[in-house]
Amino acid sequence: MQFDRELIVRAQAGDRSAHEAIINQFAPMVFRLISRFFRAREDVEDLAQDVFLKLFARIDQIHPEANFPGWLARVTVNTCYDELRKTRRRKTAMETYGPDLVAEKSLAPPEPELFGKARLALQGLDPKLRIPLVLKEVEEMSVEEIARTMGLTQTNVKVRLFRARKKLASILGGSERNIK
Amino acid sequence: MRPTKDFFDAERKKVFTPGPFFTERVLARLGQPPRESGIWEVIPVSTRSVLALALVLILCFAVVQVIIPQIPQRGMIEAYLEADQNPAESFLYSEADVPSGQEFLEQLIAQEDQ
Repeated sequence: MQFDRELIVRAQAGDRSAHEAIINQFAPMVFRLISRFFRAREDVEDLAQDVFLKLFARIDQIHPEANFPGWLARVTVNTCYDELRKTRRRKTAMETYGPDLVAEKSLAPPEPELFGKARLALQGLDPKLRIPLVLKEVEEMSVEEIARTMGLTQTNVKVRLFRARKKLASILGGSERNIK
Repeated sequence: MRPTKDFFDAERKKVFTPGPFFTERVLARLGQPPRESGIWEVIPVSTRSVLALALVLILCFAVVQVIIPQIPQRGMIEAYLEADQNPAESFLYSEADVPSGQEFLEQLIAQEDQ
């Protein structure tokens, strides 16, 4: 991605037009990444705002020569990871202590379509496994890029991808080869 | 057939794009003064009222302890009888300063003689 490094210097000096230019240039990338993990537009927009607020809060720590788009992708993925963990905790708490939803469940379609099943299975994965799998399969990142974005080693990413595929296959009742 | 591959391909097409006012919203939030992050903000909203009530009660108790003077621990009966007691009898009702041995017996005999 072409990027004017001067923008970072100007943003660090508090130039509002530089802030605006950075948002305009990188918002589509941030939205695209967040869309991989969240289905509601409001969630995506809220998280994208949080990402840019985090970015400008730490703008002084960014070196103009550093890989800024990679750094921003990392902040975005970390923000998604935190939110997915929170959502997962809330969901578990609701399932354990919340009202009984048996009646509401019976209103749902009896047999969800294949994509619906796959989406449910993907949402059921631990964010630690789900994020690398989505970055690999949907975002089509290489293992090296995923490792850089998530701050992991490449071996760790490979292990997580293997576990994610295995778990997804076991949930869907198919072969793990289907999702390689 | 690779159904999950089709699913991931379909997912790739589902992307939200920023709305027309996204940049303005971020810049507006950026212009807001930073929220203070004191101890009160760290405490969950649901427990703040309970904590506030507990703090008020503790403060009230402390104020009462400091302002209201302590009353010596003496019961009503003891205070009533004290007026009728002569000094010689007082040791019969009080454990303090009880004379020992011979002296104690002499004092009792002297009371009887009177």
